[in-house]
Amino acid sequence: MEKACVYWLCSMKSLGSRTVDRLLEYFGTAEAVYRAPERELRLLLKEKKLGEVLESRRDRDPQREFGLLQERGIGFLAREDPEYPRRLLEIPDAPRGIFYLGRLPEEERLSVAVIGARDCSEYGRFVAEGLGRELGRRGVQVVSGMARGIDGIGQRAALEAGGSSFGVLGCGVDLCYPRQNRELYERLREKGGLLSTFAPGTPALARNFPPRNRIVSGLADAVVVVEARQKSGTLITVDMALEQGKEVYVVPGRVTDRLSDGCNRLLKQGAGIFLSPAEFAEEMEELFRRKTGRGPEHKGAAGDVSGERDRDGREQKKASDGSVFLAEDNRSLQLSEELAAIYGELDFYPKSVSQIQAGLSERYGPRKVGLCLMELCVRKLAVQVSPGSFRIFTA
Amino acid sequence: MYCRVLSSALEGVKAYPVGVEVDIAPGLPTFNMVGSLGTEVRESRERVSVALRNAGFPIPCAHITVNLSPADRRKEGTAFDLPIAVGLLQSMEYFPRGAAENILFLGELGLDGELRRVNGVLPMVQAAAKGGIEECIVPLENATEGAVVPGITVRGAENVRQVLQFLREGRESPVLEAAHVNLEELFYRGEDAGRDFAQVNGQEGAKRAAEIAAAGFHNLLMTGPPGVGKSMIAKRIPGILPPLNLEESLEVTAVYSVAGNLGDAALVTDRPFQSPHHTVSASAFIGGSAVPKPGLLSLSHRGVLFLDELPEFPRKLLDGMRQPLEERRVQISRVFGNVTYPAEFMLVCAMNPCPCGYYPDLGRCRCTPAQIRRYMGKVSGPVMDRIDLCVELQAVELMGLRERGRGEDSGRIRERVMVARSRQERRFRGTGYRFNADIQAADVERYCKLGESEGLCAAQIYHSLQLSARTYHRILKVARTIADLADADEIGDEHLLEAAGYRPAQDYWL
Repeated sequence: MEKACVYWLCSMKSLGSRTVDRLLEYFGTAEAVYRAPERELRLLLKEKKLGEVLESRRDRDPQREFGLLQERGIGFLAREDPEYPRRLLEIPDAPRGIFYLGRLPEEERLSVAVIGARDCSEYGRFVAEGLGRELGRRGVQVVSGMARGIDGIGQRAALEAGGSSFGVLGCGVDLCYPRQNRELYERLREKGGLLSTFAPGTPALARNFPPRNRIVSGLADAVVVVEARQKSGTLITVDMALEQGKEVYVVPGRVTDRLSDGCNRLLKQGAGIFLSPAEFAEEMEELFRRKTGRGPEHKGAAGDVSGERDRDGREQKKASDGSVFLAEDNRSLQLSEELAAIYGELDFYPKSVSQIQAGLSERYGPRKVGLCLMELCVRKLAVQVSPGSFRIFTA
Repeated sequence: MYCRVLSSALEGVKAYPVGVEVDIAPGLPTFNMVGSLGTEVRESRERVSVALRNAGFPIPCAHITVNLSPADRRKEGTAFDLPIAVGLLQSMEYFPRGAAENILFLGELGLDGELRRVNGVLPMVQAAAKGGIEECIVPLENATEGAVVPGITVRGAENVRQVLQFLREGRESPVLEAAHVNLEELFYRGEDAGRDFAQVNGQEGAKRAAEIAAAGFHNLLMTGPPGVGKSMIAKRIPGILPPLNLEESLEVTAVYSVAGNLGDAALVTDRPFQSPHHTVSASAFIGGSAVPKPGLLSLSHRGVLFLDELPEFPRKLLDGMRQPLEERRVQISRVFGNVTYPAEFMLVCAMNPCPCGYYPDLGRCRCTPAQIRRYMGKVSGPVMDRIDLCVELQAVELMGLRERGRGEDSGRIRERVMVARSRQERRFRGTGYRFNADIQAADVERYCKLGESEGLCAAQIYHSLQLSARTYHRILKVARTIADLADADEIGDEHLLEAAGYRPAQDYWL
């Protein structure tokens, strides 16, 4: 009954963690709050909050609702519960209660938040994929917001590499937002978990997202920002992470790319520099080992990686050679001189034919460049993003 | 006394003969008109009786009946005024019997007896010539329009008195002279200095796509930020299409004549170019309304229909274009029957790539993928399926840096287009096709034959670009046109690759 009453307190929209703490301090137990006389509550609560408490005491049955929740497989943990994530206990204003589907991140395993822009570029996609894959392979837990763009891409890559990942939602855990990530949602439920501080059924409201970001950084030991504009929600997460004392790493971008403005600004402020997934993961594992006094014995425990595809194997080799992050070795492609010159002009960002042509010598006319680009597309080295613009092909 | 005068009525852009029967008999004074008449035809009674009185031929107090046969087909328009008046004059015996035989009469009467212009003279005169009629009397303003038709004498009259004088004096009368037009003079075109491709700076890619589209009569879509010259290029496309020949010109003129858009010209000799605003109504666009009239789709017949800001056009209009694009004609069904208007036009569309106009330049575009998809979604489906070439225009400041100097002029481009056209003419002789764009899926293999290595190239394109069968066929057709432009018998790898570059790219058209 007590737990059901804590759930009842946490599920009310107008009550924040602090109010709930105040009530529990005064009444001792949640059940006592549920049974408290109205005049006593009136002393502690303002009109609006009081109204919701009284109304829900009248209309709702916490015991029954809590039972239903368990039937649906939705877990609920209050701050006092021993299973409550320790990482969250350490952050200021730890949430009163947390709902989850699937499982919770393991305490003994490194966890990293991969975050960034929703409308990311191909560059961001490529880095997030490489990072997610590397982390997944090493058994590092990837935490993120399951949003469109970088968040989802990093999480998906980690799951595909056999790792585990956790999505922190800005709505109830029983809802999938954004809807196009339905498949990711289902896989996170199986291979990781979905967490939220909002009661099941809460819709994805804009104001829910900043508090959600706090949990993303709270559950991670380190945060990597892949791409962010100057004004970006991602930067809120970074502020929270710094407040919570987490490591912050940033993927550098070119100063001319608007999608990297936020990242470069953070670098100027002294954030850690991300150069390659392997190097980053090694550094983080080392740090985590020192902090917890544990060896990386969980390495590879996340799944059988022996049956990986060739491409992944190749990249792993490259990553272990050095800390360079390479798409594809130019020379191994056996391109003619013309194709090689044009391939060299391609980028992760879409470039128009005239931009590509501008980087080449005079003898490349627009027709010639167009034909060569199409040949590169057919050879799966380039992608035609729109009728007049091309970018480098990434897996 | 009974008599019968020849006239004609329109159905779509075709005309059929109408016999105007007039009978004046003793009895109670009445004036009845029968024969499935529209409002303006029924009003003809008042116009004719007043016009004749004012011209000095008062109608007797007698039992008058006018019948327009065939009596079961709906008749619209004001062209029956003159034949009715002539019929009455004949019945009143103002001119010798037989003088009006084998003459077609068309024209609207004013109350003073003057003749006024009517719509659709060209198709009506054409039908008359076909039916073996030797002479036509039409309002003077319509005379040159009718005179274009060979094998028939067309005389223009100013008023009903002139007509009567002519009928009294016979063919040798000096009153109504036969109208003549000099076709060569009509078709002579001075250099059209107004709109030339040489004025378009840069945008080589788009110009090339316009050339290919013109050569194979393919539909074209141009995307690009505002102000880069999309409409400028579209307006210059009619100038690189081959000039209209007489047969095509007559088809186009017939549509314009029926729609009443001909003005003073005897013939439409320039390729039509229609550029409707997106607030255009459905019946003005497709054709129709209670009394069917050709819409913009038909007024673009054998020319260019340019839709600027394509996503702004209501879905209903774009969907209404589906059947005309497929069948190359507009069919309108009304209670009084079906009407068909020709609509063989080349569709040229322009649009911004996203709501803000800068996609795929991610540095400047702030639209979310969902916004872009929604914007694109407004035109996907029926219209996109009929577009063979997509091309993107770039912001001009980038281009200007590199490509200075005058571009090719329209005349040079048109020469190449004509080469491609004559190849198509030879290829499709005896088939229903006219252009590469018309080739149906079942015939693609036959007309777009590939050699062995080209077949491999095509297969590779098909697989690595993950094409649908429909897109693949479109690429083959465009490749055929590109090869025709190069005056090549066989489609080569470079033609296939270039054609593939014009497909609607996939990540873009989500």
